[in-house]
Amino acid sequence: MRPRIIFGIIGIIIFTSLVMYNFSQSISAYVDFEQAAEVSGDRIHVIGTWDSTRPATFSSDTMTFTFYMTDESGNTRRVTYPRPKPNNFEQADQIVVIGEMRGNTFVSSDMLVKCPSKYNDANNPELSELQ
Amino acid sequence: MIGILGQAALSLAFVSAILATWFYYRAAQYGGEKNESIANALFFLKGAFTFFASGLLVYLIFTHQFQYYYVYNYTSSDLQNVYLWAAFYSGQEGSLLLWILSSFLVGLALIRWTSPTYRTPVMVFMGLTQVFLLSMVSGFPIPGWGDLGASPFRTLASEMPDSPVFQANPDFVPSEGSGLNDLLRSPWIIIHPPVIFLGFAMMTVPYSFALASLWKRKYHEWIHAALPWTLGANLCLLTAIFLGGYWAYVTLSFGGYWAWDPVENASLVPWIFGMAGIHAMLIQKKHASSHKASIIFAILAYVAVVYQTFLTRSGILGDSSVHSFVDLGLYNHLLLFMLVTALIGFGLLIYRYRELPEPKKESPVLSREFMMFSGAMVLFLAGLVIILGTSSPVIGRLFVANPTPPDPQFYNDWTLPFGVLIGILTVVTQYLWWKRHNAESLASVLIAPTLIASVITLAAVIWVDIRNIVWMIYLFAAVFAVAGNGLVMYQMLRNNPRRMGGTLTHVGFAILMIGFLGSGFDRPMVDTRTRDYNQAVMAGQVVDDDGFRVNQPVEFVELEKNEPKLIDGRYMVTFLDADITERNRPGEQEYEILFEDVESGRSFVMRPTVYPMLSNSSPGAVEWTVDPAVRTGWLADIFMYVAGSSLVDREIERMNRENPGQFQTVDQLGPQMAENDPDETVVRIRRGSTMQIGDYTMQFRNFIYIDEEELPENSIIGVRADLLLVHRETGDTIEIRPSYILASNEDGQYAFNPPVSFELPGPGADPDSVSGEQPDRQMYRQSDAPADTPALEGSVRFREVHPDSDEIELVLGGVEGQPERDWILLSAEHKPLISVVWLGTFLLMFGFSVSIIYRWADQKKREFLDRNGHQSKVTAKVERPSSAEAVQSEAIDSQSETIDN
Repeated sequence: MRPRIIFGIIGIIIFTSLVMYNFSQSISAYVDFEQAAEVSGDRIHVIGTWDSTRPATFSSDTMTFTFYMTDESGNTRRVTYPRPKPNNFEQADQIVVIGEMRGNTFVSSDMLVKCPSKYNDANNPELSELQ
Repeated sequence: MIGILGQAALSLAFVSAILATWFYYRAAQYGGEKNESIANALFFLKGAFTFFASGLLVYLIFTHQFQYYYVYNYTSSDLQNVYLWAAFYSGQEGSLLLWILSSFLVGLALIRWTSPTYRTPVMVFMGLTQVFLLSMVSGFPIPGWGDLGASPFRTLASEMPDSPVFQANPDFVPSEGSGLNDLLRSPWIIIHPPVIFLGFAMMTVPYSFALASLWKRKYHEWIHAALPWTLGANLCLLTAIFLGGYWAYVTLSFGGYWAWDPVENASLVPWIFGMAGIHAMLIQKKHASSHKASIIFAILAYVAVVYQTFLTRSGILGDSSVHSFVDLGLYNHLLLFMLVTALIGFGLLIYRYRELPEPKKESPVLSREFMMFSGAMVLFLAGLVIILGTSSPVIGRLFVANPTPPDPQFYNDWTLPFGVLIGILTVVTQYLWWKRHNAESLASVLIAPTLIASVITLAAVIWVDIRNIVWMIYLFAAVFAVAGNGLVMYQMLRNNPRRMGGTLTHVGFAILMIGFLGSGFDRPMVDTRTRDYNQAVMAGQVVDDDGFRVNQPVEFVELEKNEPKLIDGRYMVTFLDADITERNRPGEQEYEILFEDVESGRSFVMRPTVYPMLSNSSPGAVEWTVDPAVRTGWLADIFMYVAGSSLVDREIERMNRENPGQFQTVDQLGPQMAENDPDETVVRIRRGSTMQIGDYTMQFRNFIYIDEEELPENSIIGVRADLLLVHRETGDTIEIRPSYILASNEDGQYAFNPPVSFELPGPGADPDSVSGEQPDRQMYRQSDAPADTPALEGSVRFREVHPDSDEIELVLGGVEGQPERDWILLSAEHKPLISVVWLGTFLLMFGFSVSIIYRWADQKKREFLDRNGHQSKVTAKVERPSSAEAVQSEAIDSQSETIDN
C-alpha cells in the first residue's frame, strides 16, 4: 500500500506541474502592437480594427493580403496575412490577428474576424432599421 | 396572450418541479406510497406543463408572431418548416427547454423501470436538476426582484423598452424576423441538438444513482441499473459528437471534424468521464472493488456537463469560441447550478466516504481490475487536461492578465500519450478480462499482436515516411490495439457474440486512433511551383521584402477559367464554371471544378458553393461563407472550397452599388486589372462559355460551319463563331458571326478572317443622354462619325482556332475594358484516413448498442432473480443471492463469466 501511495503522489505532482507548465506556455495574452514587439513567440494575439483609410491589397505574387490595423491602444501597424482576404473582412468590427511583430510589420499566421452579427449582440437587433 | 399562457405554464412547471422534488424527498426519507404517488403526479404535471409551453412556442414560431423576442430573433417568414421546427431549439432558451423535455422523458423511464430501492432517491436528484433547468427559462416572477431566468416568451418590447421604436409605439410588431443563422440552415440541425440533449439528460442518471446509493448506503447494486443508462448517455454523446464533427467537416468551413472548440469539448469531456465511470462500474460489478471510483466518476460526468454548460452559456468564452452563446443574464444562475450539483455530489461523498467498502487486499498489477482501473484513471486525466484547456479564460488568469485559448497543439500533445496508454491497456485488459493469466501466459498471448503491430508500423514508417518518433510509438500502440482487440473479438464472435459489445468498442477506438493519425498528414494540394515555394519556406530560405523570414506556406492555388493546372502532382484541375444557382439559399453560387487523376485516368467534378449570409448580416454589409465539397475515399479525402472568386467580387460590388456608401471594399486582385485600355483586345474563349468584358457579357455559343457553296474559291474549310454580346445593364443584345476561312493559294495555306463591324448594344452614345459614368466611352467613337449617330461601333476579328482546347481567339475593337478574368482561389486539401475515423466511430456506436442491450437484459434478469430469489433458486443457472449478499456473490458471478473463453 505504502509504496503505491508514494508513487501516486509523486506521479500526481509531476503530472500536474508538467500540465500546468505546458498550459501556461500554450496560452498567451491579448496584447497591443507595442507589447507584441517586446514579447517573444510566434502566436501573439492582437485585437484591433481595420484602418480603412489605408490601402488593403492582396498580392497574387506573394499570395499575401496586406492591410493596416489599429489596435486597442491606438497604434497602427501594417499586417500581412498569408491567405486571401476573408470574405467578411470589410464588415468586421473586430479583428484578432495571431502571429508576431517583425520590425514594423505584424506577420500573422491566423486571423479571426468578428462580425457585427446580431447573434452576438442581443441588445441590438437592428430594430431601428425596421419599419 | 399566448405569451402569458406560455409563461404561466413554465412557471407552473417550475413550481411543480420544486414540489415533486420535495415529495420525492419525503418519500425517500420517510417512505410512504402516498408521498411517492403525489410526487409522480407532480412530475407528470411538470412534464405536461413543459410540453404545453413548448407547443405554444412552436405555435408562435409557426405563426410568425414577431412581437416575441425569441420568434423575432431566430426565425423569419421565409423559413422552411423544418427550420421553423429547428428554430425551437436554435436559441439558448429553447435549447434549455429541449434539455428539460429530454430529462422529463428519461425521468418517466426511471419511474417505470427503476427498482424500488433506488427509485425515490434517484428521482430527488433528477427533480433537483429539473428545478435548476426550469428556473432558467421559467420567467417566474419574484416580487421585488424581477423575473427568474430568461423566458422564451419575452416580448421584444419588454426586452428593449428603451428602443425608440417602442417608445413611439408600444404595440409595434416587426413585420419580419431576423431569421435563422445561415450556418444553422442545414439538415443536420434537425438531428444534432436533440441527440446531444438526450445524452446530457441521460448523464443525469448515473449521477442520481450514485448520490442515491450514498444516501441510502446501498453502495453496490446501483451500478447494475446505472450501467445501461451511462452506456446510453455515452452512445448519445458519441453520436452527437459524430454528427457535429461531420457537419463541421462537410458543410461548414471549419476545415476538419475537430477543432478543440470549447463547445465540442463540452460534450467530449462528459463522454470521457462517462467512459471512466463505465469502466469503474464494470470493475465493481466483477470484483466488488472501486466503489469510490464508480461514484466519483458518475458525479464528475454530470458535473462536467453542467460545468461545460456554464462555460458555453455564461458568455465567459465569448471571445474564444466560434459558437458560444451570449450571456442572457444567466451567469449567476449557471454558476449556482454548477456549484450546487458539485457540492451536493462531493459533499455526500465526503460525508459517507469512510463507510464506503474497501477492497480487502490489493489487486496485483497483472489483474484485470488493476489494468482496467489504470485505464479509467488515464481517461480521467485526459478529461482533466481538456477541461484545463477549455477553462483558459478562467484558469489562464493565473499566468497572464488577458488569456487567449490554448494553442490546439496543447490538446494534441497531451491526448496523444494518453491515447498510447489507453490503446495498450485495452489489449492487456481484454486478455486478462476473459481469462486468468500470469506474466508468462500473458506475454505469450501478446506475442501475436506485438508482432503484427511491429510489422505494420515498420512498413508504415518506411512507406509513408513517418519521421516523428512519437508518431511511430502512437502508430504502434494503435495497430497493437487493433490487432489485440481484433483477435479477442474474433474469438468472441465464435463463442459469445452477445457479449462482444465491449470488445467491439475497443476495436472501434483503436481504429479511431489510427484515423486520428491521418490528420498529421493533411497537406494542401497545390501546384508544383507553389509546392517548391512551400518547401523553400519550410527550409527557411524565403525572405520577404523587408528581409524577414517567411514561415507561412501558401495553401491555395489560383485557377483561371478553363486553364488546367496540375496540383498535388496528380490531379489536373480545371475551373469549368461558376454560376449563381440559388439551389439552397438566395444568392448561392455553385462552382464546377474538374479533377482529372493523371495516374488512373479517372476524373470527377467537385461542386463547392459559396453563399452570402443574408440573414446574418445587414444589407450593404453582407458576410459570405463557403460550403466545401468533399470527395470521400477509402484512404484519403479531398476537401476543397473556393476561398475567393471573381464572381464573389462582382457580387459584392453589385451589392455595394445597390447600398452605396456603407463600406469600403477591397479588390482582391486589384493590381492585376489593366488600367489603360488598349483599342484592341485579344481574348480567348471556349465554346459554350461566357466572358465579361467591360459592360458587356460575351457568349461563344457554337461554331457554324459554312456551306461549301458560300465559301469563296480556293477555300478548304470555313467556320463562323456564333457570338452573343449582351450589354449587362440594359440587356440589349446583338448576335455577331465573324468567320474564319482557311484557304490556299500557290504560296500555301492562309486564313481569310476579316474583321466584322457591328453596332454596340446598350444605351446610345448621344452626349445629352449619356449618364455621368459613361462619358469616357466617347473616346471610342470614331472621330469622323457624325455627332448624332446614336450607336457605337465595335469590331471583331476571328483570329485563330484552337481545336485541341475547343477555344477561339478573337480581336475585339471598340469594346471598352479588358476581358474580366474569371478566376477562383481554390483551397484544396488532401486529408488521409478520414473514412477510418468514421469507421472507428461507427464501430464504437455499434459496440455501445450491443453493450446496452446486453446490460439491460442482464439487469432485468438480475431484478427478476432478486424478486424470486428468496423462494426458489432452481431456475437460476448461477446462484443469485439477495441484494444484501451481492458483494460476495460477485466473486462467484465473475468466475462463472470467465468461462466464456
